[in-house]
Amino acid sequence: MEIIGDDKKIRALFSEAKLADAQTTPSFTSQWHRAQSRAHRPGRAFKLSLAAVTALLVCALISLAVWSQYSQPRPTYSAVADLRAPESSKPARVDNVAVDPAPVSSDPTVQRRVRSRVNRSATQANAALIASRGKSTTEATTIDTWQSPTSALLTSQTDGLFKSLPQLNENANELKSFLPGRANEKEK
Amino acid sequence: MKIEPMEIADFKAELERLHGCSFGWALSCCRRDATEAEEVLQTVYLKIFEGKARYRGESSLKTWLFAVIRKTAATEYRRRLLRSLRLAADTSEVNDLAAPFENQTASFERSEVQMHFQGALKTLPRRQREALHLVFYEDLSLREAADVMGVSIGSARQHYERGKKKLRESLTRMEMGYGNNWGRQENPSAV
Repeated sequence: MEIIGDDKKIRALFSEAKLADAQTTPSFTSQWHRAQSRAHRPGRAFKLSLAAVTALLVCALISLAVWSQYSQPRPTYSAVADLRAPESSKPARVDNVAVDPAPVSSDPTVQRRVRSRVNRSATQANAALIASRGKSTTEATTIDTWQSPTSALLTSQTDGLFKSLPQLNENANELKSFLPGRANEKEK
Repeated sequence: MKIEPMEIADFKAELERLHGCSFGWALSCCRRDATEAEEVLQTVYLKIFEGKARYRGESSLKTWLFAVIRKTAATEYRRRLLRSLRLAADTSEVNDLAAPFENQTASFERSEVQMHFQGALKTLPRRQREALHLVFYEDLSLREAADVMGVSIGSARQHYERGKKKLRESLTRMEMGYGNNWGRQENPSAV
């Protein structure tokens, strides 16, 4: 690089600054030892980045747990499916076996065996249907006869008096006989 | 992961040889703040010791070391700035950070010309100041200066030329000012 005129002046000024800096330069040994002592210093126990990452992880886990809990199918849907399944499956099974003639041979024993198998499956389907209907009927009966545990509080011994109407030709005394205490006096 | 003991010994000898230049460069990167420059240099040595900064021989050791110093100084400056913003109530610290040069000028004797020269350097943009320092102070070529600054050689040349032009203008202005002052002192009745 060619240095001319002003460049020489600039270089001279930089050289002067370099000389001044050389006087204030700290010793290498002290700097190196300080750096080494900083290296042996124990690190901070609490790191902000680590804490942030941990917090994020915990949040993610919690949200995943909540999501998985709410995304599971409810057991009531499966119960409805169980009740309807036999009704729809019954005719389908019988039809399939009856309509498809290919696997059935002309031998009467084989035909009888197939028929008995069809009958058995139909019987099983019927039994399942009946069982499920019986179960639903039982449940309906149970619901029908259900009584509230506090229904006894709604009835009393004087319910009959309040529900019956007095006759038009009865006088006031007789009307009073509706009261339980008066009836006793009259009898006396 | 730390570097091997033998490598540390080798590095130590090389770093010791380059220590003066490194401190000068650190001073330039820290806007002539000697305390900050010392801290930066310590951090650089620490990085080398811990193996965080590793020399792979892709450039000369001096170029690599200067690049590490430059990056570390920038990081330290950013950190100090954030710290000072956090402690915004304490205005004295902010003032210290904003004007380190003025404090340093009082720390050692300088000629008036040198002071003006440093003042003119301070007015230059950072890249231009770095290019001039690397070429004139550290005697690096423009290619090496570009490597240290992390820019292309064309860009480094532009920074160097523009910086030199501005510095020359400012030095000429300063000389003219001196001439006028001296003229007034020599012959006050001439005004």
